[in-house]
Amino acid sequence: MNGPEYRVPSVELAGVTRTYLEGTAEEVHALRGIDLTIGSGEFVSVEGPSGCGKTTLLNLLGLLDAPTAGEIRWDGRSVGALTDRARARLRLEGVGFIFQRFYLLPTLTARENVELPMRALRVPRADRVERARELLREVGLTERERSYPHQLSGGEEQRVAVARALANRPGLLLADEPTGELDSGNTRAILDLLVRVREARKATLILVSHNPEVAARAGRHLTMRDGAVARDLREA
Amino acid sequence: MKERRLSRGRALRHSRLQLALAVAAIAAAVSLPVVLISVGGGVSAHELANLQSAGSQIVVSTSGLHSIAQSHTLAQQILRIGSVTAASPILSVAIDAFNATGSVDPVLAEGVIPAEFLPTVSPVERALFPSPLPLGEPTDLVHFDNGTYGGPANYSVIISTPYAQHANLTVGDRILLAPSPNPALGVEYNITGVFGVPPTVIGPTGAFAVMLPLSDLQVLTGYGPAATSPVPDGSDTIQVSVTGAAATHPAALQNVVDAIQQLVPKYSVSTLSQQVQQLEAASGVLTGFYVALSSVGLTIGLLFLALVLLRRVESDRRSIGIRRAIGLPGRMIASEILRAGLAISVAGALIGILVGWAVVEGLATWATSTVQEAAQLAIFSPVVLTEIALGVAGLSLLAGALAARSALRLEIGEALR
Ligand SMILES: Nc1ncnc2c1ncn2[C@@H]1O[C@H](COP(=O)(O)OP(=O)(O)O)[C@@H](O)[C@H]1O
Ligand SMILES: [Mg+2]
Repeated sequence: MNGPEYRVPSVELAGVTRTYLEGTAEEVHALRGIDLTIGSGEFVSVEGPSGCGKTTLLNLLGLLDAPTAGEIRWDGRSVGALTDRARARLRLEGVGFIFQRFYLLPTLTARENVELPMRALRVPRADRVERARELLREVGLTERERSYPHQLSGGEEQRVAVARALANRPGLLLADEPTGELDSGNTRAILDLLVRVREARKATLILVSHNPEVAARAGRHLTMRDGAVARDLREA
Repeated sequence: MKERRLSRGRALRHSRLQLALAVAAIAAAVSLPVVLISVGGGVSAHELANLQSAGSQIVVSTSGLHSIAQSHTLAQQILRIGSVTAASPILSVAIDAFNATGSVDPVLAEGVIPAEFLPTVSPVERALFPSPLPLGEPTDLVHFDNGTYGGPANYSVIISTPYAQHANLTVGDRILLAPSPNPALGVEYNITGVFGVPPTVIGPTGAFAVMLPLSDLQVLTGYGPAATSPVPDGSDTIQVSVTGAAATHPAALQNVVDAIQQLVPKYSVSTLSQQVQQLEAASGVLTGFYVALSSVGLTIGLLFLALVLLRRVESDRRSIGIRRAIGLPGRMIASEILRAGLAISVAGALIGILVGWAVVEGLATWATSTVQEAAQLAIFSPVVLTEIALGVAGLSLLAGALAARSALRLEIGEALR
C-alpha cells in the first residue's frame, strides 16, 4: 500500500468537454471546454446554479467519469483516457469522495464502511480495524462504530462518509455539496471537519457548495455557468 | 429522510420475497431430478439385482406370449447339450379359480415341468417353494406322452399363500380351475402344497397365483395340441441353467448359447449377462431422459435466478455505484454477486434435495401399490446428489456472471444521480 505521503500533486484539465447521451436527441453538453489547473494542497470552492456542470466537473477530476474530449492530467500524467480498471485503482488510492447524500452502504456498519476502501487494498484486518477506529475517533464517532447507517443521524452519516473518504490517505478530496441535506449546526460541524482534515493532511480539497460560509474558507473560488468556468478568484 | 428510510424497508422486504422465490424455484427444479433419478435408479438396481441372483444363465424367448412351440421336446433337446443342468419351460396364463364356496377369483397360473423349475430359480425364490414340487410326475412326460397327452393327469396344483388365505384353502382341499369364468369348462384339482410369492417369477401382481404341471395348464387353456386346432405345446420362455466352465467362463457359456440357437434359429437366446447389459443400457437411457427432463426445470429455475440477480443489481444500483466510485476492483463487486447467486442456488439445491427425499418417503409410505413399491426401492446416491448440487451451483455462477457483467457496465455517475 502507498504510504501516508501519497498525494496528487496537481490536477489539470485541458479542453475538457463532457456530453451526455451523445448523438441522441437529448444530448446534454454538461461541460463545454474546461481549462483548469489546481495545484497541490489547494482548497477550492465551486459554485454555480443547479445543472451548470459542477458534479460533472468533480466526477471528471476524480476520474469517476471520462471526458468526451480533452485531457485530464494528474501531476502532468494523462489519466483521463485510462481504462476503467486503471482509473478505479487511481480513485481507490488517490481520491476521497464525499457526496451530498452520504452514500454509505446500508448493509455495513459505520466501521465496516470505513474499512471498505482498505479491504480493496488488502490492508490486513487488524490494521484496517485500528485505522477505521482512529478515523471514526477523528470525526467524533467513537461510540458509533457498530451502528448501521439507518441508526445514525444525517450529520453522523456524513461524518462516517468523511472518515471513509480518508481511509486510504488520498491526496485529493472531492466533496459534492456535502452539507446540502444538513441543518446549519451539522453544516458547520462538517465544514470544520473537512477544513481540519485537509489541513492536517495538506490534501487538495475541492468543495462544491452554495453556502457562502464555505466560500469564505476556501483559498480559491470557481464560479461555473452553463458548463464553463465563468470566474476563477484567488484570495489575496 | 424519513421517506427514504421507509422505502428502503419496503425495498428490503421486496428483495427478501424475491430471494425466497428464487430459492423456491431452484428447490422445485432440483427436487424433480432427485425424485426421478433416485426412484428410477432404485428400480433399475432392484431389477438388476434380481437378474443377477437368478439361478438360470440362459433364457430362450420369442416375441409374444405362449409362442415357444414344442416346448417339451425343445427342453429335452436342450437338456442333452453338454453343461446344461436344467431347462425349464414356463407358461403363464390368467385363469379363474372356483373354490368350495363357489366364489370365483382370477389367478395367475404358472405351468412348469416340476423337476426343471426349481434348479433355474434363485436360491431365495427356491426357498419359497416345497421341494421337490409336489406336482406328480417330475418330468411331466406321463401326461404329455410325447405330444399326445395320452398319459394320466394327476390334477395336482400348488397355490400361493395369499390366495390360500383369501379363499380359506389348505393342502388336501380341491379347487376348480377354468380358462374363463365359466365353471362348466372347469377341471377339478387337488391342492398338494402352498408357496410364498416370489417377487420376480410371478411378480407382485401375481399374489393370487397357482402352479401346476405344464401339460395340465396347456390342456386346460388350449396351448397344447388338440384334435381340432394344431396349437403347439406352447410356453413363454425356457430358462436354462448350466454348470461347470459354462457357468463361469463367458466363452464356454456362449458355446451353449450357440448350440441352443442352432436348435431354434428363430427364437432369441440370450445370456443373463446380456440381459443385464441391456437393462443397464435401458436404465442409462432412462436416466438420460430424466436428466433431460429435469434440465428443463433447472433451466427455468436458473433463468429465474438470473432475473432475480439482475433485478438486485438494478435495485442495488446505488450501492454498486458507491463501491465503484470508491474504486473497489471489479472482481470484488462481481464476486459479491456471484456469492449471492451461489448462496441462493446452494440453499435451493439443499432444500430441493430435502423436498425430493420427503416426496419419495411420502410416496413410499402413503402411495398405492406400484408407486409405493417403486418409491420404496429408491436409492439416494450421495454421488448423484452431489453431482446435481454441483451442477446447479456451477450454472448459478453463470447466472451470477450475467448479473455481475451488468453491474460492471453501470455508469457510475448515472447510478449515483
Ligand atoms: N448521467 C447523465 N445523463 C444525462 N444528463 C446528465 C447526466 N448527469 C448530468 N446530466 C445533465 O448534465 C447537466 C449538468 O449536470 P450536473 O453536472 O449534475 O450539474 P450540477 O451538479 O451543477 O447541478 C445537467 O443538465 C444534467 O441534467
Ligand atoms: Mg450536482
